[in-house]
Amino acid sequence: MKINQKIFLQFGICIILFGLIGILINNLIINLIRTGLGFNFSWLLKPASFALAEHPLPYTSSDSYTWALIIGWLNSLKVIFSSLILATFLGTLIGFARTGKNALLGLISAGYITIIRQTPLLLQLMFWYFVGFLGLKDNMFIQIKNIFNISNQGVEFSGLNFSSEFLALLMGLSIFTSAYIAEVIRGGILSVPRGQWEAFRSLGLSESKGLIRIIIPQALPAIIPGLTSQYLNLAKNSTLAIAVGYSDIYAINDTIINQTGRAIECFIILLVSFLLLNLLITNIMELINRLILKSRQYS
Amino acid sequence: MLKINTDSIIISFKNLRKILFSNLFNSIITLLIIVLISVSCVNTFEWLIFKADWKVVISNLPLYAFGSFPPNEQWRPATWIISLLSLSIFTLCGPEWRWLRKNLLIIWVGTIPLGLYLLYGGIGLSPIMSRHWGGLTLTILLTVCSSFLSLPFGIVLALCRQSSLPLIQKVSSMYIDGMRAIPLIAVLFFGQLLIPLFLPVGLEIDRVWRAILAFTLFVSAYIAEDIRGGLQSIPNTQIEAANSLGLNQYQIIQFVLIPQALRIALPALTNQSIGLFQNTSLMAILGLVELLGVGRSILANPEFIGQYIEVYVWLACVYWMVCTIMAVLARHLEQRMTINQANF
Repeated sequence: MKINQKIFLQFGICIILFGLIGILINNLIINLIRTGLGFNFSWLLKPASFALAEHPLPYTSSDSYTWALIIGWLNSLKVIFSSLILATFLGTLIGFARTGKNALLGLISAGYITIIRQTPLLLQLMFWYFVGFLGLKDNMFIQIKNIFNISNQGVEFSGLNFSSEFLALLMGLSIFTSAYIAEVIRGGILSVPRGQWEAFRSLGLSESKGLIRIIIPQALPAIIPGLTSQYLNLAKNSTLAIAVGYSDIYAINDTIINQTGRAIECFIILLVSFLLLNLLITNIMELINRLILKSRQYS
Repeated sequence: MLKINTDSIIISFKNLRKILFSNLFNSIITLLIIVLISVSCVNTFEWLIFKADWKVVISNLPLYAFGSFPPNEQWRPATWIISLLSLSIFTLCGPEWRWLRKNLLIIWVGTIPLGLYLLYGGIGLSPIMSRHWGGLTLTILLTVCSSFLSLPFGIVLALCRQSSLPLIQKVSSMYIDGMRAIPLIAVLFFGQLLIPLFLPVGLEIDRVWRAILAFTLFVSAYIAEDIRGGLQSIPNTQIEAANSLGLNQYQIIQFVLIPQALRIALPALTNQSIGLFQNTSLMAILGLVELLGVGRSILANPEFIGQYIEVYVWLACVYWMVCTIMAVLARHLEQRMTINQANF
């Protein structure tokens, strides 16, 4: 295409695009005037006047909406990072079991992966919450010397309290993500050429030592990108917290919309929060990736 | 004859010993697993047969399948589901009639208007509002319509992202990256809330179509990335060859780029539609009575209160089965595609 033609085409598309956006915004303004809402963020400073069951920092219902949103952010981060660690641990175990020598173990982990991947996450979350935690009767306390205590109120572990909502979400998210991480790990291990296995065996290294020293370092560069995308999925999936009544960032936005009707402002807040969260996770993983590459270069 | 048999049995036993009891650690794990499996199998079967009360599933079967569709019209969604099922079976193991095989894709696409006609009614059938739709029918309808609509949209987005015009490229990149950053439930929720706000006064879209629209907007961003992967893996020589044949830019896109990119992206695309099928369950929190929504409303019924395990196990089985059927169909499609490629 000639340069002139290109500029002309872009100009035309520009006009169509802006026209469309203009029509949509015009509709929006008319509708906002009709419902009497308008568009501003001054409501953020008003008292939220709803209670939150779970707050890592002190919170009362007379605190502002902004503070409620920050609490929601912290709740989200708490569940995302704890299930991220648990899912990585579980996924690594299952991934190794899937590729390992024991055929029975491989078969079981393959079954686990298919069952978990072929059922919706929401169903699994509801299962863990309603069957796993609320199903425990009040009188069915499982107590071990007052240190460890499971009931339908949650788990108490030497003074630390975890609510059943948090634990159900943690279990559901980590088990769901672990099935995907296991496949990533398996792909990474299979990407190491067979010759490497034969080489370390012929050098007389033990199976476990060879795995840690030879195989895993070579598998990591193939694993990290897959792991990053699974972590991003986990962060996005954590918004299903609303189904079990855990007050994460999305659930709090939902409550605010029900109270104030400020759908557009809340959508923008949510969009920005998730862009920031994605940036955080991708940057951390990028850092880890660079460290791994660096350690390989200098060794 | 007998001797050979015993030999092969001995060999297979040796193999079994090699993969299950190669050393002490392995043997311990194998024994542990066998004990665990047998205990859990016994418990599960005991629960399945004696303890579980399947009345909550059996007496509500029409509800799971059709939601609150009027009882004397339920043959309509039933016809649609049965026609989809028989078409799947035919695709997988039907006879090799050439003319039918060639038009199979058109028949599959044709099931969408058929389903919409059967559900909505209209000519010759009594009209039924979309709020009466529900159950597995609604789940399948959401999946089929959204995947069908998001494919062309995704292709356009992918082409725009690969475009040499900077403005178009920037806008589509922004859309794709933005959509991929936000969680699906937020898109669906704001789809329900915001789409009416952006429409002119008086024009309204019902809940089901708002959901389909939101799913389409979301999934097309993912599909666009998959297709972009396909587009990028096409060697540049293909475009040069097409240029030297005298094809213009649109012909290159239509006859050279799109078919090859779709073929490469096919496994990823089928995975997206299986994921979409599972994700339609999110509409249960947002007020549509699809399969999981039916489960929730049954559990809210005082007659069946507390029977969570039965309902969830049943729903998991249904989701698992449909996902498996979709996966088998996808594999079949991939195999046929590679055969076609080999013929050329």
